[in-house]
Order: sequence, then C-alpha cells, then structure tokens
Amino acid sequence: MLSRSAERIYWLARYLERTENSARLISVYMNLLLDLPKGVEMGWPQLIRINGCEALFYEHYKAASERNVAKFLLVDNDNPISLYSSLSFARENMRTTRELLPDEAWEQVNEMYLFAKNNLDTVTNRRGRVLFLNEIMEGCQRFTGLLSGYMSHNHPYRFIRLGRNIERADMSSRILELATLLLSESRSHEMRQYESILWMNILQTLNALLMYRQHVGSRVKGDDVLNYLLRDTALPRAIGCCIHEIDDAIRLLPNHDALPEKLAELDKYVQSIDTQKTTQYQLRSILDDLQSRLADLHNDISENWFLSQEQSQFQAMES
Amino acid sequence: MSRIWDNYQTDVSYDELMFSSFQPRQGSHSLCQYLNALTRESIEKRKIAAELAILEMGISFTVYSDEGNIDRAWPFDIIPRIIEADEWRFIEKGLKQRLRALNCFLNDVYDKQEFIKEGLIPSEIINSSKNFRHQCVGMKPRHNVWANICGSDLVRDKDGTMYVLEDNLRVPSGVSYMLENRVITKRVFPELLENIDILPIDDYPAQLYEMLCSIAPVQVSSPQIVVLTPGIYNSAYFEHAFLAQQMGARLVEGSDLVVEEDECVYMRTIEGLTKVDVIYRRIDDEFLDPEVFRKDSILGVPGLMRAWRAGNVALANAPGAGVADDKVVYAYVPEMIRFYLNEEALLPNVPTYLCAEPEQLHYVMQHLDELVVKPANESGGYGMLIGPQATSKQLAAFREVMKKNPRNYIAQPTLSISTSPTLCNDKVEPRHVDLRPFILQGEDIFVTAGGLTRVAMKKGSLVVNSSQGGGSKDTWIINVEKR
Repeated sequence: MLSRSAERIYWLARYLERTENSARLISVYMNLLLDLPKGVEMGWPQLIRINGCEALFYEHYKAASERNVAKFLLVDNDNPISLYSSLSFARENMRTTRELLPDEAWEQVNEMYLFAKNNLDTVTNRRGRVLFLNEIMEGCQRFTGLLSGYMSHNHPYRFIRLGRNIERADMSSRILELATLLLSESRSHEMRQYESILWMNILQTLNALLMYRQHVGSRVKGDDVLNYLLRDTALPRAIGCCIHEIDDAIRLLPNHDALPEKLAELDKYVQSIDTQKTTQYQLRSILDDLQSRLADLHNDISENWFLSQEQSQFQAMES
Repeated sequence: MSRIWDNYQTDVSYDELMFSSFQPRQGSHSLCQYLNALTRESIEKRKIAAELAILEMGISFTVYSDEGNIDRAWPFDIIPRIIEADEWRFIEKGLKQRLRALNCFLNDVYDKQEFIKEGLIPSEIINSSKNFRHQCVGMKPRHNVWANICGSDLVRDKDGTMYVLEDNLRVPSGVSYMLENRVITKRVFPELLENIDILPIDDYPAQLYEMLCSIAPVQVSSPQIVVLTPGIYNSAYFEHAFLAQQMGARLVEGSDLVVEEDECVYMRTIEGLTKVDVIYRRIDDEFLDPEVFRKDSILGVPGLMRAWRAGNVALANAPGAGVADDKVVYAYVPEMIRFYLNEEALLPNVPTYLCAEPEQLHYVMQHLDELVVKPANESGGYGMLIGPQATSKQLAAFREVMKKNPRNYIAQPTLSISTSPTLCNDKVEPRHVDLRPFILQGEDIFVTAGGLTRVAMKKGSLVVNSSQGGGSKDTWIINVEKR
C-alpha cells in the first residue's frame, strides 16, 4: 500500500469520526439543556469553550446564542472544525483514495456530503437540526457498516481503524473534559442536584448508557462513569478499548517498529488512572496529558508509514 | 397527451437515429417506439434519476475557472446513440488498421526514418513537431508499439460517411465516462435494455490490464502496474482514479515514485520501496521527468526516462508517441497505411489543407470562411477557428496568426456533422455528435464496442468538448435481426 494512500485513508477515517462525534456532542448537549431547568449556569457558550474555539467564534459572531453556536459548529465554512468542514475533508480524502475502497462506501460519504450541503440552512431551528444530526450519525454508521461488510480487512482497513480510534479516543477524552468543566468546584448548589442527569447525558453522547447499566450498575455515579469510559476495554468509545483497537491494527501492519511497546505503555497509563482519588483539577490535567500522548502516537504513526513532508505535495488538512 | 418526441425535426445533417423526421433507422425501431410511448413526465423523471445517479456516484470532471478549479457533474443525455453492429465491425477494422500503421510510423520515426527517406513526408514536419522527442530516438518499446492507448475521434458527414477527425495518442481521456454512461443507462432504462441486443463494453478495464501486462519488461512474470496521475487538480483525475480502481492497480503521483541507483522505478509504500514494472502514465511527456524534459516540473519522477531507456519499466503511452497525433502528420496517415501495411485506408481522413504548403495556404486564405482551422498540437478544442461562424474581424486576425506560423495550422472543410436526438429543456431536438472509440495495442489489438459519444448541447453548435459545455450519451452497438 502506498504511503500517501495510507495517510489519506487514515485522515479520511479521522475526519469521519470527527464528523460523527460533532453530531453526537451537539445532539446530546441539546437534550441536556432540555432536561435541565431554566436558570442553571449551563448554556451554549460552554459548547464553544469545550471545543476550544472561542477566539474564532467571536471573530464571526457577536453573541453565543443557540442559533449562532449551532451554525458555527455545524455548518460554518470559516470554521475548520465545523461538522461540515470535517465532512468535506473526509470526502476529499476519500475522493483521492477511491481505488482502495468499495464503491458503495464512496457513494455513502458522497451522498452524506450532498445531503449536508443541501441542508445547511436547516440547522438553525431545533427541529431541522435534530433531523440533520440524525441523518449524519446514521450516515457515518452506514459507512462503518459498509466497510466492515464489504472491505477486506487488509492494510487500508487497518489504517481506517487506526484513524478512527485515535480520533475517537481523543474525542472521548474531550467529552470527559466537558464533564469536569461542568463539575467545577464553583458550581452552584442547584447544579449539583442535577449531576446524575449530566452523567447520563455524557454516557449517551458515547452511546454507552445501556452498556453502563449492564456492566456497572443502574446507579449513574460520576466516579463510576469516568472509570468506565476511561478504562473499559469492551465498550467501543471507551478510551481503553480504543487503545486496544489501535494496538491490534498496529501489530498487523508492516514496519511497526517500537509502536507496540509504546502502546503497552499508554495502556498501562490509562489503566492506572484512579478516578476515586483524583480531584476535578487533577482529572483535567490527566485528560490533557492523555490528549498529548495521543498526539505523540499520531506523530509516530505518521513517521512510520506516511510520506515525509518534503516527499508529499499533499498535506493532510489538519485543523 | 403530448409526447416529448412529437415535433422532432431532423435538419440537413445525417441523423443517427432517424431517416427522416418520423422514420427510425433499422436498428432504432425499438428505442424510438419505447421513447414514443413515454409521457413527458416519465421522461423528465428519468432525466432527474440520471442526474441524481451522476451526483451520488460522484461522476465528475474538473474545470478550471476564475474561482479555482471545481468539480462539475458529468453532463449526460439519457437518449442513447445507436450504431448497427455490421457497420461497427467495419469501423473497428479501420481503427485497428489505423493504429497499426501509426505505430509502424512511430517505430520508424525514432529509428530508420524510411518513410521520410522515401520522400513520403517532408523531414521538416517531423523535425519541427512539438511532440517529436529526440530523447526517444533508438528506443524499442515492446512489440514495437509506442501508442498503446489511442482515442480516435470520428464524425459522420451528411452522406453517412464516417471520417477520422483526429487521433489522440498522448493521454486520451473519456473511457471512464463511456463506461459510467452505460451504468447510468442501465439504472434509468432497465426495461429497455432487456429487449435490445447491445454489445457489452465493461470488459475495457480487463483489456487495458491485459495490454499493460503484455508490455511489461520481458523478465517480469507478474508485473506491478500503476496509473500515474498529475494529481487531484487534473481535469481527468476522476478517470485516473476510476481506471486504477477497476484494474486493481495503484494510483500514484510523481512523489510516490523514485528511481534508485539500479535504474529501476520504486514506489514508496508502508512496507518500504516496491518495484514498479508498468506505468500507465496520464502525465504529458513534458512533465514526466525533470531530468530530461521540463526542469521545473514537480509532477513527474526524476530519472524515469533513464529507467525506461534501460528497459526496466514500461511506459504507456511511450514518450514521444505524440508526434503521430500532430494534426499535420494526421494528413499523412492514409499514406502510412499504404506504405507500412500495403493496404488502402478503410476509414477516410477529412480532407486536410496543410498551411505549410504555400499553394494550400493560398487556398485556405481565399476560402477561410468555409473552413475550420486547427492548431497542430492543441487539444480540447482550443485555438480553433470555425470559418462559417466567425466574424470578419476574427477571420482577419486568424489570417495574421497563420501567416506567422503556417506550420502550426491545418484547415478542413466544415463537415455537416451528424445529429442525434437529444433532450433539450422539454423537447427532443437534433444535436451534433462525434464519437471517440478507444483502441488498445500491446501484444494484441482491441477496440471498444462503440466509444464515447459527445454531443454539442447548444443548438447548431459543433463544439462537443465537455470543458466547453458539451455533453455525452451512451453509445449502443446493436445486433439487428434482419427481417
């Protein structure tokens, strides 16, 4: 497999995963706001803060109203991490690696892109937004299903798994960060009352509520949720599971060099996190640390298999 | 109920489907009958279905515009164009004959030049050809074939004769659209295709693959084949990706390839360097190898020509093959067929005036308003003058240009190119069409069943290039049961 194709296909998977996660996050956040009583200190500005794009947002908008935030995070062309931007990058990476993927998978992504493009205006109202987000989440799942059903589990497929799981682990850690942000020590008494609603919504963002109940128990408690989402090795969106997926894919690729050892180290690190004893502040720094370790992992992958910058005329469009 | 077909008026040209306004040709009865039975609404539905399929399948071509390059949906007309198999078999023979002769000529040009020595073509024409590559002199590609993939353009005049308008021997494109057009027709008219005996075309990628295998260096038993593309911004990128996918070959860009000290070509893969044996290149000669051609090119591979000359890699088409699609050289093809094959050309050339010849230039100058003038080495319909449609100012300007560089121009009478019924807004109207069949020559020789029919979408227009607003149609070669 060409190094360039490996790189593009890896990014294709990352961008599609990002697309799906953006849709999930916003969709659950909407539900959360609907669940919470009016007057608690949560609102749309937090969503901009979590995504770390306040500066860019206020360049284009005056107020963080629901309408503006939804527009900015979902369909804004000027925002490189908007859902539509991610989807466009995914499509472009796919358009340039079509020879490696089943036709149906290309058509699926292309259709989803055309759908988004034709429905950009619908996200400003809630009803339209719900439909839009559902269509995107389903579309991403169809893509994953098509590949697992139609595509050889060969090298290209392994790069898709790599990209998907690195992005997924990163996104899961950011969603947990959201929880810590909302649970800041300064939160109001009223807010504290609604904590379990918050944790249930976090679980839902990662489609993990049912699985949590089956594996941990029906009581939704902050520490247990964190533990489960960080360390479980069977739940697809738990970070521990993503790391095992990455490890699997890496071992089947040629020239993996020292990567399996590094993965083992990362796994050990994640499994040793003890959420019972960490303060909210400590947890934030653990999650930051985890994100930078995932970034290192990306660099190692890139060095191992992709074209170096001077060989590659095409630079992956990294946000 | 009004039918979309009701007022179809064939004009003075030959119509591919009809003898006269209400008389279908022998092979077209079923199609005409079927279309006749459809209401406006159901035709419209099918048209929309086709457009949607094209969008969803991502069948596009890239056009350059002021806003940068954009992907446009492939323009497609749902009413197919029909050619009877008997006629096609003759055309097929003529195309094979033509490509054989052209390859003999190429082999000769880069070797003994007997054709020139016999006085059959002035040596200046070859020496001044933009596409003659002195770097290729003495090379012997396998099977003595330089042009492995040829797309010849055919047009039919009003008396029904098929003429060869030009041969494209560099990097002819369009074959992927020919294949996709059929896929769309199958989606849009499934019931129609059931009853008509149409020759299949979908074996092209397999034939291409076979041909490419047959030109691999002799010592290689299972060759590694790649398609070399200039990249995603090229107008034919869709086709490059399509063909690579259909053949199961790697689609590579210049930066993926490297020539090592052993003068072999390798591609950079996740496993390290992997040897490449055959390159179906879709990059023009000039950009192939900065060591030999344009120094500033970043599309190609430094050292590629060394590897090719050493016989370590096959290039299709071979560099330098373009000398035979110079439009001046075109005029000599019937003579080539006589000289190399000792046969008469089955398919006629369009009569051609060479502006380099003073007498012919004189005639052209006098009759410019009746002629089509073409530059010798452009493609895509650029830089042409269509005399009968030109203003006197344009004519005068062209006279000047031609005087300055007569070698670069040829002129041909304006043919009355045939038409084919085409859906235009809410009516079916005749529109001019041409045909580009694809011919493959390696160890064997193969012609597609039909080719890409391009159609000028504007009324009366003769310009069929998609970059200039032309469309395309599915082309059916059909076996007609004799009654």
